[in-house]
Amino acid sequence: MGEVIVITSGKGGVGKTTTTANIGTALALEGKQVVLIDADIGLRNLDVVMGLENRIVYDLVDVVEGVCRLKQALIRDKRFKGLYLLPAAQTRDKNAVNPEQMKNLCEELKKHFDYILIDCPAGIEQGFKNAIAGADRAIVITVPEVSSVRDADRIIGLLSAQGLNTPLLVVNRLRMDMVKKGDMMDIDDTIDILGIDLLGVVPDDERIIVSSNRGEPAVIEASSLAGQAYRNIAKRIMGEDVPLIQLENNDRFIDKLLGLFKSKKKN
Amino acid sequence: METQQPVIFKGTRNGLRIYIDQDSKWEEVLESAAEKLKNGKPFFEGSRVNLSFIGREFSSLEQKKILELFSEYMEPGSVAFMDKLPAEQEDQPSNHDSHIFDSIEEDMTRFVRGTVRSGQRIFYEGNIVVLGDVNPGGELIAGGNIVVIGTFRGVAHAGVSGNANAVVASYRLQPTQLRIADYIARAPEGETEKPDYPEIAFIKDGRLIIEPYLPKRVKA
Repeated sequence: MGEVIVITSGKGGVGKTTTTANIGTALALEGKQVVLIDADIGLRNLDVVMGLENRIVYDLVDVVEGVCRLKQALIRDKRFKGLYLLPAAQTRDKNAVNPEQMKNLCEELKKHFDYILIDCPAGIEQGFKNAIAGADRAIVITVPEVSSVRDADRIIGLLSAQGLNTPLLVVNRLRMDMVKKGDMMDIDDTIDILGIDLLGVVPDDERIIVSSNRGEPAVIEASSLAGQAYRNIAKRIMGEDVPLIQLENNDRFIDKLLGLFKSKKKN
Repeated sequence: METQQPVIFKGTRNGLRIYIDQDSKWEEVLESAAEKLKNGKPFFEGSRVNLSFIGREFSSLEQKKILELFSEYMEPGSVAFMDKLPAEQEDQPSNHDSHIFDSIEEDMTRFVRGTVRSGQRIFYEGNIVVLGDVNPGGELIAGGNIVVIGTFRGVAHAGVSGNANAVVASYRLQPTQLRIADYIARAPEGETEKPDYPEIAFIKDGRLIIEPYLPKRVKA
């Protein structure tokens, strides 16, 4: 029996889709059977980020409406064994599906997969209600900005009203240099306000944008720090105890050199 | 002796008592009630209130009319019509400055366990005690006092029905906005030092004041 995990944030543009793609890929690389569901009907993105756009024939709405069988709509990612995508419809809107149908869909998928990851749309309306309907667990994504944390807080409240009481937090796009200067909220402040357990911290990494545009998840790049962070998150989801990456050590060589000079001057 | 108003609202812990002057015309009564409700709209809005109409005999049409009027502003709980208060409930009818809730020493209290998050609003006619944090965007509205055993970062309105004796106290008081009765205070602009001790907010000499409630424990 698989586990349904919804990835949500309230605010748009904080990295729900990227996170879904990367955690899903990382879980598949660990040998799990994984299906990614794009619940953002009308504004689908997950297929693009996964590089599977040109293989869509049927979508989620077709499945719930009985136009096709579930198996026909699932797109197998040929690069990663055990990874599938259920794309969203682009020509419909969120009202094309109701929470009851999503629940049934999740129950069906649970029989065949280890992990079902749902990419939730931004907002708290119908799309959000659909996305969380069948979920067993929730991951809340936030970036270290006040507005994003505020929305995450609202989302945590709404999740708990739906019985998803212990969501896990992913702090995305953290910039250590800005935190050090005091220009960005640090992780402790964020956790202090939200009061939920931390699943992982993903550093800001331009290569994520490059890999998203190419349709290749960053987790396959061994050198990508963000990719490493996502691989660790996947391991934590599987129940492994992996320490957080030390982001402070990611200074460029030249910075370290300059730091050395500075500290010498002080002496 | 002040002139008798056609309608007087008086709050009790069991709900709202509406005293209606039996000599006033029915039209005046409705008009006066409508005006009072309009003024008090933010206080009443969306809340569930027990109503007792007191002071005259009401025809069924009159009962229906006045109830319709009140329903526009609040959700009526139990409703009673009586020409006179039962003797044991009689309390100084001469006291016209009406408080829905005028005791702060003891009253009904609502306990909230866990964090009150953005978008959540808790309303209670008595006191509210939160065993947890209140985050920005969360609101507590109480007829009486508000106590937060955690960090308070949201909006609080204590003494919402006009009780300026009400207080807001918190383990860490960092509100977005504080209101007590008709007084409103907001957090100062810019970066301010956040005290790491419990504080209490109250009204003194017409100003909303925040100070530590254990002054001796705070190092100067």
